[in-house]
Amino acid sequence: MALRSVLGLFTDENVVADAMDSLRAAGYTSSEYELLTGVPYPEGTFGEEEPVHKLYRWPLVGAACGFIVGLVLTTGTQLAYPLVTGGKPILGIPPMAIIIYEGTMLGAIVFTVIGIIFESRLPRLFMGAYDPRITEGYIGVTVTAEEDRMGQAERVLREAGAEDITRGWETPR
Amino acid sequence: MASGNGAHGALALATPAQVNRDLLERHQRRTGDTYWRAMALFGALFVLGIIGFLMRLSDGFSDKAVWGYYAAVFAFILTTAQAAPLVAIAPRIAKGHWRRPISRAAELWSVVGLFNLLLFIPLLWVLPSLEDTRRTLWFFDAQDPNFSQVPIFSPHIWATLALVGLVVTGFMLLWVSALPDLAAVRDSASGWRQRWAARLAPNWQGTSQQWNFLYHRTGILGAFYFIMLIFVHFLISVDFAMALVPGWIDALFPITHAANSLQAGTATLLLTMFCLRQFGGYKDYIGLDQFWALGKLMFALSLLWFWFWFSSFIVLWYGKKPSEQAALQLMMVGPYLPAFMAAFVLNFLVPLFTMIWNPLRKSIWGPTLIATSILIGTLFDRIRIYVPAYSVPGIGNRFVEKHELSEVPKSILPDMADIFMIVGAIGGAIFIYLLASKVLPVINVWEQKEMLLYRVHKPFHRIEVLVLGKRD
Repeated sequence: MALRSVLGLFTDENVVADAMDSLRAAGYTSSEYELLTGVPYPEGTFGEEEPVHKLYRWPLVGAACGFIVGLVLTTGTQLAYPLVTGGKPILGIPPMAIIIYEGTMLGAIVFTVIGIIFESRLPRLFMGAYDPRITEGYIGVTVTAEEDRMGQAERVLREAGAEDITRGWETPR
Repeated sequence: MASGNGAHGALALATPAQVNRDLLERHQRRTGDTYWRAMALFGALFVLGIIGFLMRLSDGFSDKAVWGYYAAVFAFILTTAQAAPLVAIAPRIAKGHWRRPISRAAELWSVVGLFNLLLFIPLLWVLPSLEDTRRTLWFFDAQDPNFSQVPIFSPHIWATLALVGLVVTGFMLLWVSALPDLAAVRDSASGWRQRWAARLAPNWQGTSQQWNFLYHRTGILGAFYFIMLIFVHFLISVDFAMALVPGWIDALFPITHAANSLQAGTATLLLTMFCLRQFGGYKDYIGLDQFWALGKLMFALSLLWFWFWFSSFIVLWYGKKPSEQAALQLMMVGPYLPAFMAAFVLNFLVPLFTMIWNPLRKSIWGPTLIATSILIGTLFDRIRIYVPAYSVPGIGNRFVEKHELSEVPKSILPDMADIFMIVGAIGGAIFIYLLASKVLPVINVWEQKEMLLYRVHKPFHRIEVLVLGKRD
């Protein structure tokens, strides 16, 4: 069955927390409802689950790849043309460190940029219900579920004190 | 409407909706005459700069000495405009509330990085390959069968890559941090601004996950920007200045170059804040707290200027090696003594003897005037480093001795093309900043709204105090 989305708009933070409780009590899972705010409230303000992200893995993996490439490049070239200069070792760490450092940083940055795009789900295929009043200070609770559960979601949001309801399928973006 | 300047730059608006409306109205209202006058002025300077560049280009790249002022102004923009975003990054990581009204103004300077990247391109032609036997980090030796395999354009390749990395990181940081504000513009504006904002923030809805990502992204990208800026300074100062002067070997110089940029970046932002406050209509947001906090930082960095300079100077001066004496003669006590003295006075003595006074430090005008002094001093400092470095005879000629400066060249005064290029590059940087300020709100709207969550006025005995919270 096709997914649909409905949005309840609120102004009072306490009422939003109650609405989230009501949705949970009505059988909606945390993956089916989402909080939309124009301000970054601290995680858990409304009793919602803390979002999980894996963004930190991207720069770490990128840095490791860049480090390895830098190491292989500098070691390989110096071993391919071995020459002792001024009694210094063939694998001179100070000049190698510059290339390795830059490789590490470039790898970390490139992977972070990719990670940001990937983790942000850009382009996002299903946007769900939205209302411009969110950026004006309203707090939205959006429920995304099968079509036949939309009526119940709307009812729960209204009973919880939503000031307005926006149906995603009626306001295409 | 805003009324008066409150603590930490937040104004007397009580709700996020009021802050949203007020700041977006300021961003979208019809542009005033002052803005267009500024655009015309800096646009005209930019055009002069292009003319100056074409005049210089007609001389070709074979005479390196004539490109010294061009290299100096490139380094000046790297030291000032490209360092300004750091002023948003460091206090954000430290969760300082005072930075909220100025963080966007600081990050917006990262767009000038693209302009400076363009300015950098001709320097790739000016800087000779490693075949001229100058001593560099890259261990190239044409006589040696193995070390002759080192790419002769290593300085060009790695400096370009690092600079591109810095610019990309700066743009990403600006975009990520501006996403919620772009969404607000998308939802409330009309015309070209709305279309741009919709393109730049098509999917921002303000979900908990998106906010969470935003925090992590700005943190990671901010740290990368800081690392890349230091690294770019390292490469530019070594390959595009120090390596050109025979006998100048100073392990502290790269970090001195970078530390100077922290001071000059702070000064750049202070001057930007002053302009936004006086001419941009943001008096209610940018207040004494911001000037006071940044003024203290700038004072500390001015003391650091002396520390770094003296640490290098004492080694070269006390060592008394002829090659080091010649390097000192070239850049400090010889033909460029006036430029060095200007930098010393404006970057260190003026801040030291003025910022020690509380009334001056805790004011709007005081830190602004000292910031102006520092920026002028930084320009002289870059001139006294880069102009003599490019005037050294024999750059690009492998038959000229590269271990010691045999003769200190005379000072080179700027000609018409140089003056045009200097004012043009600075004018161009400001011109681009002004353009960017029309696309993005110069005050970070979402950070101002967030401030309201953590601020409360409470009665305390017989007075009322402001209590500020911090996010974990």
